[in-house]
Amino acid sequence: MNNLNKKIKVYSTPDCAYCWTLKGFLKKHNVEFEEVDIFDNEEAKEEMIKKTGQKEVPVMEVEDQIIVGFDKKKISEALGIN
Amino acid sequence: MYDLIIIGGGPAGITAGIYAARKKLNTLLISKDFVGQTGNAFGVENYTGFREIKGLELMKKFKDHLKKFKIDIAEFEEAEEIKKINSTKNKTNSFFKVQTDEGKYSARAVIIASGRNPKSLGIPGEKKFLGKGVSYCVTCDETMVERKIAAVIGGGNVGLEAGLELAEFCSKIYILEFASKVIGDEILQQKIENNKKISIITNANIKEIKGDDFVKEIIYEERRSKEIIKLSIDGIFIEIGAVPSVNFSKNLVGFNKFKEIKVNPRTCETKTSGLFAAGDVTDIRDKQIITACGEGAKSALSVYEYLKRLK
Repeated sequence: MNNLNKKIKVYSTPDCAYCWTLKGFLKKHNVEFEEVDIFDNEEAKEEMIKKTGQKEVPVMEVEDQIIVGFDKKKISEALGIN
Repeated sequence: MYDLIIIGGGPAGITAGIYAARKKLNTLLISKDFVGQTGNAFGVENYTGFREIKGLELMKKFKDHLKKFKIDIAEFEEAEEIKKINSTKNKTNSFFKVQTDEGKYSARAVIIASGRNPKSLGIPGEKKFLGKGVSYCVTCDETMVERKIAAVIGGGNVGLEAGLELAEFCSKIYILEFASKVIGDEILQQKIENNKKISIITNANIKEIKGDDFVKEIIYEERRSKEIIKLSIDGIFIEIGAVPSVNFSKNLVGFNKFKEIKVNPRTCETKTSGLFAAGDVTDIRDKQIITACGEGAKSALSVYEYLKRLK
């Protein structure tokens, strides 16, 4: 749990540039998150596809909300960042 | 008021930032990210000093290098408009206002180094299956086609590199090229020929992408026979080049027919005094990481000379 009192999960792969960007954005705003590397983790990969209905990373899960890709506007809204 | 605002955090923008900082210019670099085309490149083998490096690793090194210098960085901000404010009394008091999605900044000179964005095919199914088998980023989404069949659209350097990268994951890769032959570097073509998993299909005019929840099939026309051919695939990576990323201040710069910003090749200056542009967003002939860095350096040194003349 982070300072926003929200459970945040980031599905990523090591070579994904926008995963790196998303994690940098969250760190800049002191948002704690759980990172799930799906590169060698079939179970996590399937979990992400089931939740999102798609295969792209990064995926950010804020409570029940799913955000695909690094979408600053949506992420800021979900986290209450101005 | 900054001496210089740089728009873009790719090889050109970062190098401009390093050169400007070393000249003690009070500089702000604005960038929505530090990824660009380089960050999504798999293997870079032609950047001097690195026999082979992943694009993202190179971008991380560039960013780390930039951060060693005294320079302000507005990361995650996107430039929306540049305005030139001309002083009626004294030409040397003219300056630029840059509006981003988060704030307003002023500077006496600006370098546009906003790079290029991936080009889309514009065919049925492309948008519908984005993230569901259609991707513009091999390094992001390659694991999704592990042990499966993938197609790469585009036979230029980026397309051939994508094919080679996918060969490490996929059971089969088709590279589809519109022209009668692929145009990537000879060394890449040789590697492709030696890879049994990869087949090149030329004269392929892509017509449609089909599937259910995820991509299942790509349909193309063989341009010589006009035959319509269906290929069963699990993922499609579109690598057909990129278009300049300039959605702001179009009135301050001139463009060539490819919508690239026209610059003076000696100085990188645009048609507006004090407004410079560097890298892939411009009309320079070669769109390479190393040439973008060189143009970035050139533009910052030109800004330095420009500001000296104003004093």
